Amino acid sequence: MHMIWKLLVFVLFIWVIVGAWLFEPPMMGVEGPEVYRIFYFHVPVALVTFFAYGLAMYNGLMYLNNRRLEYDSRSALAAALGTIFCALATLSGSVFAKFAWGSFWNWDPRETSIVVLLLVYLAYFALRSAVIDAERKAALSAVYSILGFISAVFTIFIWPRLTPGLHPGAPGDSSGRFISMSTTATIVFIPSLLAFIILFVWMYLLSVRINRLEQDRAERET
Amino acid sequence: MTVYVPMLVSIGIWLALWLYLLRLERKVKKLEKHG
Repeated sequence: MHMIWKLLVFVLFIWVIVGAWLFEPPMMGVEGPEVYRIFYFHVPVALVTFFAYGLAMYNGLMYLNNRRLEYDSRSALAAALGTIFCALATLSGSVFAKFAWGSFWNWDPRETSIVVLLLVYLAYFALRSAVIDAERKAALSAVYSILGFISAVFTIFIWPRLTPGLHPGAPGDSSGRFISMSTTATIVFIPSLLAFIILFVWMYLLSVRINRLEQDRAERET
Repeated sequence: MTVYVPMLVSIGIWLALWLYLLRLERKVKKLEKHG
């Protein structure tokens, strides 16, 4: 990745941190608006999770198309990074829940769905570790990554909107708080989303290169 | 004060992560060149 992207992500995160702490909270007119500052980190991390699982599926499809094991490694790396971001989204959501709703865990549909998503991808890694033959592992993982992404669409975007819950956007919530984001919130949220995407891409490309080095070394040793 | 301290801590954590990634990338580049 070119240095300009690394400098951009550095500046963007500094802007987001300063904006999140010093500017007005993203949601006004709610009880305890200060708590909502975590929104600048929690939501982009959750969206990057979705992006990562999409990339895992893309690489899975590429593997099924041309049977090159390199795509299987890339798919697994994207899924691994996605799972780290998914865990971060769960943790930040839990901290938010403690201060907004009084408890770290409320079994809100969105909280439950993110745990289901985490379990789906933990099962993906369990599947990978259970199959020894590389090509069989790659084929099974590729199919699973497609099913996993479908479950991500369902658990992130559909399920929480079908069942009543505490999150904005759930049935019965007419506040439209996310849609009516203030200008101040927008100028922090959009750079935050961009910064997390660039950070993810940087980490992903780096992990692909490290994986390639490890494979080269393994080939030299055998 | 209650805002500036956590803000500076957050910036510190981000700076540490950014520098770590830069160092890691430099190391990877070196290994790619020399095998």
